[in-house]
Amino acid sequence: MKISCIIVEDIQIAADFLKKFCDKSGLIEVKGHFLNVADALDFLDKDQADLIFLDVEMPGASGFELLDRLTYSPKIILTTSKTEYAFDAFQYHVNDYLKKPFTYKRFLEAVQKIGNETDQASASSSSTSTKAILPTQPSQSPVQSDTDFLFIKSEDKLVKLVKDDIFFIESMRDYVKFVTAGKSYITYSTLKNLEEKLTGNSFLKVHRSYIININKIDDIRGNTIYLQGNQIPVSKDHKEELVRRLNIL
Amino acid sequence: MKDPNPDRFIFNERLDRTFLDELFEGDSVYAQVVFEDFLRDLPGYWKDVETAHMNRDNNGLRTSVHKCKTLFGYVGFTDIQQLCQQLEDNCSGDQAAQERPHYHLLLTRKDEARQVIENEFKRLKIFNTTC
Repeated sequence: MKISCIIVEDIQIAADFLKKFCDKSGLIEVKGHFLNVADALDFLDKDQADLIFLDVEMPGASGFELLDRLTYSPKIILTTSKTEYAFDAFQYHVNDYLKKPFTYKRFLEAVQKIGNETDQASASSSSTSTKAILPTQPSQSPVQSDTDFLFIKSEDKLVKLVKDDIFFIESMRDYVKFVTAGKSYITYSTLKNLEEKLTGNSFLKVHRSYIININKIDDIRGNTIYLQGNQIPVSKDHKEELVRRLNIL
Repeated sequence: MKDPNPDRFIFNERLDRTFLDELFEGDSVYAQVVFEDFLRDLPGYWKDVETAHMNRDNNGLRTSVHKCKTLFGYVGFTDIQQLCQQLEDNCSGDQAAQERPHYHLLLTRKDEARQVIENEFKRLKIFNTTC
């Protein structure tokens, strides 16, 4: 069964690519294309779509303003040319974002995620699994690790991070944020994936949302780690391992 | 070296060929459509850039350059797309629109780009007609 979508995008070329990709996938029915937030909201007042492909920067109101005014909870895929919006995307619980211009492969990854999330939400249902229908694409890890450094894909480039410069890594749904002294970097990955890649004694998961660099700890008070001006919570499940690793007397 | 697939359209080396090959996946007919759309839309978007520049309208300049950036990206001008991004980032400051060095460079590059895409469009038309 196809899922319905609307496209909110003021640049025709970008909207045409989205329509083409939706048609090509055979899984998404495009109910409408709107050049601005006002027209999209007019449509959504009378009808609904399962999924919204939403541009951020448009004439008049921004895509985030549409999200503020939604009266139901469709899946949202942001389409933007800036990775800075990843922070805002996280705040709005956006399902994914596509950095323009994006290929069909990248589009399919985002849509497949929607299918997987829908599948998990209706796990008890006997309806056909969308995961079985959506074609899979091999995924290349955006984090490549070696001994003293690792490379991450951030803003269309490979950034080399010296492991010793990393303060901590924070989970942001399907993205992670690497915090270093100079800058923070966001990349498409999960903490689970990183745990497997970060070997050695320097890194430790202390909370379901945080992996820290033990060498950067300033002090620990109660269940909070003070680390280079940041406060990181320690969960009950991870405290024992933290104590063991720090060899606390 | 001979192209192993003589039926594949080879984009101008000025463009990001790797990206365009992945974007169009060999669909030269659709590439022709997109290149034609670029030639149709760029003049209007660029007019907004010029108007904002003349009126010293930083916000207007940022918004209009943002739209041009997307257009350049979809026809494989990755370098011009990055130039647009630099100009867009520059518009956030207090500097007057006229003083932005990237604007004048973009103006030059935009004209070159248009010429390249016009030629590519013609080549695509011939390619799609004869294949």
